[in-house]
Amino acid sequence: MREMTFVDAAREGLAEEMARDASIFVVGEGIGARGGNFNTTVGLYDLYGEQRLRDTPISERGFTSMCVGAAATGARPVIDFMFIDFMTDAFGEMFNQMAKLQWMSSGRLKMPVVVRGCVGVGPSNAAHHSGNYSPFFMHIPGFHVVMPTTPADAKGLMKTAIRSDDPVLFLEHKNLLPLKGPVPDGEHLVPLGKAAIAREGKDVTLVGIAFMVKQALAAADQLAKDGISAEVIDPRSLAPLDIDTVLASVHKTGRLLVVDEDFAPCGAAAEIATQVMERGFDDLDAPVKRLNGLFCPAPYSPALMQNLLPTPPTIVQAVRDLLAE
Amino acid sequence: MAFEVMMPRLGWNMEVGALATWRKQDGDAVEAGEILFEVESDKAVQEVEALDSGILRIPPDSPALGQTVPVGTVLAYLVKPGEAVPVQAKPAAAAPAPVQPQAPAPTVRDEAPRRTARQQPAISPRAARVASELGVDWTGLKGSGRTGRIVERDVRQAATALAAQPLAPAAAPFSGRVSPVARRVAEELGVDLAQLAAQLPGRRIERADVEAAAQAAADQRAAAQEAAKKAAAPAPAGARTLPISQVRRVTAERMATAAHTTAAVTLTTEADATELVRLRQQLKDNGATVVPSYNDLLGKLTAQALLEHPQVNARFEGETIIQSGAVNIGIAVDTERGLLVPVVRDVQAKSLRQVAEVSARLIDQARTGHISMDDLRGGTFTITNLGMYEIDAFSPIINLPECAVLGVGRIVAKQVVLDPEAEKVAIRRMMFLSLTFDHRLVDGAPAARFLQRVKLYVEKPYLWLTQ
Amino acid sequence: MADTLEMIGKEKLLALLRNMLTIRRTEEQVVKLYAAGKVYGGVHTYIGEEAVATGVCAHLRKEDPVFSTHRGHGHALSKGVTPREIIAEILGRVTGCSGGRGGSMHMFKPEVGFMGSSGIVGPCIGLAAGTAYSAKLLKLDRVGVAFFGDGASNNGLFHEAINMSSAWGLPVVFVCENNMYATEVPFAKVAKVQDVAARAQSYGLPGVVVDGNDVVAVYQAAGEAVRRARAGEGPTLLECKTYRIRAHSEGMRDAGYRTADEIAAWKGRDPIKAFQARVVDSGVASQAELEQIDAEVKATAEEAVTFALNSPMPEPASVTAHVYSVE
Repeated sequence: MREMTFVDAAREGLAEEMARDASIFVVGEGIGARGGNFNTTVGLYDLYGEQRLRDTPISERGFTSMCVGAAATGARPVIDFMFIDFMTDAFGEMFNQMAKLQWMSSGRLKMPVVVRGCVGVGPSNAAHHSGNYSPFFMHIPGFHVVMPTTPADAKGLMKTAIRSDDPVLFLEHKNLLPLKGPVPDGEHLVPLGKAAIAREGKDVTLVGIAFMVKQALAAADQLAKDGISAEVIDPRSLAPLDIDTVLASVHKTGRLLVVDEDFAPCGAAAEIATQVMERGFDDLDAPVKRLNGLFCPAPYSPALMQNLLPTPPTIVQAVRDLLAE
Repeated sequence: MAFEVMMPRLGWNMEVGALATWRKQDGDAVEAGEILFEVESDKAVQEVEALDSGILRIPPDSPALGQTVPVGTVLAYLVKPGEAVPVQAKPAAAAPAPVQPQAPAPTVRDEAPRRTARQQPAISPRAARVASELGVDWTGLKGSGRTGRIVERDVRQAATALAAQPLAPAAAPFSGRVSPVARRVAEELGVDLAQLAAQLPGRRIERADVEAAAQAAADQRAAAQEAAKKAAAPAPAGARTLPISQVRRVTAERMATAAHTTAAVTLTTEADATELVRLRQQLKDNGATVVPSYNDLLGKLTAQALLEHPQVNARFEGETIIQSGAVNIGIAVDTERGLLVPVVRDVQAKSLRQVAEVSARLIDQARTGHISMDDLRGGTFTITNLGMYEIDAFSPIINLPECAVLGVGRIVAKQVVLDPEAEKVAIRRMMFLSLTFDHRLVDGAPAARFLQRVKLYVEKPYLWLTQ
Repeated sequence: MADTLEMIGKEKLLALLRNMLTIRRTEEQVVKLYAAGKVYGGVHTYIGEEAVATGVCAHLRKEDPVFSTHRGHGHALSKGVTPREIIAEILGRVTGCSGGRGGSMHMFKPEVGFMGSSGIVGPCIGLAAGTAYSAKLLKLDRVGVAFFGDGASNNGLFHEAINMSSAWGLPVVFVCENNMYATEVPFAKVAKVQDVAARAQSYGLPGVVVDGNDVVAVYQAAGEAVRRARAGEGPTLLECKTYRIRAHSEGMRDAGYRTADEIAAWKGRDPIKAFQARVVDSGVASQAELEQIDAEVKATAEEAVTFALNSPMPEPASVTAHVYSVE
């Protein structure tokens, strides 16, 4: 077991896979000699050179399309968008080609692509560097979406994503990148579609998305002081979604709060709430509660950020409201 | 004006850095654009160029090499020749203190209790499931959910209360000030919140209070057990030791409560039941599939009498007396488990046949152990018949919270005086009626008048059959 | 002229002709089926442009991947998808090359290197460049080919993918079939420079203008482009000037944006007729031989229709299969 940061752990996973399989290559802006704006590929260029660590022009649509073509013909690309916001130019290639080629060709063409990028509202990153977009990919058949929150999961899910023959969105929240945590030695894989119970409890179920898992854990500490025992679940994968773990928890507690910094409409929290309503109706003692970010683009000034996102105090308050229901 | 050389922000989220080395020395002339120092940050070592020209002055309290300082900390100055170095280093222009997000004010709830389209109180799905599992009738519960919704804790409390008193209406959940945790713990430990609140007037019950109360009760029980052990003589040879069944326990509690709570008075009268007997025989001979029993007939005629004497069909409720509009008659049934009193509802509105059908079903359910909690509650009057055991008269105990109970003795053929002046006698079917009533609720004369009415209805069935 | 034909050789020449005729006769069947109301979605026929697909694909091996467009029947047939598979697919049958999943615009047969046609204009350019990237990475002897129209040449993906292919020396051939109209928008109205090939210079790769109705010219230009790619000399942009005889898609009126005279003029430059005349005139083959080939091709096309009409539909429950590689 070693302590390392989230970004180092993800990179270690990538490095191990690249050593295993020469068909894996990375494309993105600055991921070559520079090692990536977020240090996602530090040291790899020296090992593998420009063919496998390909610095691209600002041609998101172009290099995404090329990676789809490459994946369909035997290579295993990792597209590093740096900020997931830059991926939006490539939506067409992702939704119409990457997600569909496998289906359209009846499985004869495979699509082993990993799409990664930093997501989430960081301090004063403002409107064009704060996107999440996970619901878009949860919604379209053909994608998998993972959002690890711990270094160990970052490494394990990166390796699983690379080994998958399906397109996987590996979305890393920017606030998690420098956080340290234990990472097991040796081969370490985390399966898709398996949630983790970050903290056991019995009075209320909290599901957090990405960075909100950390906020929920902080809130749970505060709640524990008042004798409220909160169970915190980290889904880790959003597609496929391990709803069974959430259902088992709701069976125990009867009350569910989903905390997601992303916007409320049609979001991950909406999907989780609906699935729990559908399959856990008789276990619910109160309506499922969602706590989302405010419905507006991310602002710049700290004053405007004050009420923007769920924080441990607002999560604590939401839990109290939920228990009073 | 001296130019401040500060720890620069070299990356998106760089907050701190350490001075790795100076590339110019104190006193050197520096041109804008020259490399001035190196910084060690999370992105390794980076060269930093001077943004202005001047003589480099590194004050003695400048951060040491390798010391981590916040971005914006002043490291040195570039001064014009002859210019003085600022005496005190200005405080580091730290990044603005992170704004503390305010927790929003506690949400105010004042929505009216919600009712579903069927005009029943709203209940959470989980609570409905638990109610079904525990056999709790939730329709009469008061919900503690935000909108008055009945939630799991309400159902569990009701179940606990019911288990203690299965024949009484379910206790309303405690509605005083109590923390959610304390409420839950009280349920688990079986602590009566209403009792506890009485001991802690004016403040919210917390978990610690509940646990203390539970502990005190446990201590009491332990002490009582000890005392009992010491006092108990060994049982004589040939004696049987039996566990106390739930029904026995409940019956014992209720009888004792009635005995020391009510002001019980028993009135006795002997009624000529000849016509009643004849009526029953006629119904029997008619070949009806369900022949009303004597209890059914008595139930029906008593209901009529109660409608005319509402103060006997009454109960205490808090600071009021409720005279019920419906007559729900409980019939005492001897079963293997013990004494059960199923309730026939709205006898006043049922036909004799309906009363017979319902009572037959309830008695069968009671005897076979399939009676529901629902059917053992809600009575306004009780009839208990020991005539089959050749008992003439007795003093039945009131079935709280009812006002009165009618004890029925055997029907026996007797020689009675029809007309003392004419010295006319006849053999008639006679039956003793014993009414125990609660003198707190109703006085002797009105109770007597009621019993007199019942006697009249026994002797002249046509009077109530035609109502 | 005769030299060129001799260099190519009779066998190859007749193969070129057979391929063009296969496309023509198959497409004519499609037109008939559409007119008869038997086609479910839209179809865009390749009639008039047969020389381009034929001339380019003659140089390709099975493992050379080709990405195509909504007007892709010609590329599919030239790459080895059979008329049966094409027509069955258009009729939504399970025996179609995409199992009925795609119809006219989403045809796939990776087994012969036909990597799919797309309903979106542009992606084929990037996708073909991507296959060239993987070929280089995996050290495979493979050339990627993208067929697209004048419309796609104005799409961002054209510029991004061609730029990267040139910068990184990828083994890919970009074939622009300039038929002067993107749906109904004349290329003359939306581009200042009317030669698409001229754009190549900005990106540092050769841009060649070719008479797209002359199969020999296409054959020669494509041969050089494919040779360059295989030799590691990088990509080429071929612009084949051609014309679609029929409307943009079957059922659409061909009115308002081009004249009957123009259409008639291009009909006069029919690539098949021209090639047949040339072959006969130069003595490579007799008229009878050519008619024999045509008769065989027509029979194949007709049989394909029968086969397709008699084929079953796909199982409704199969629609959700293959969304993921592991179900």
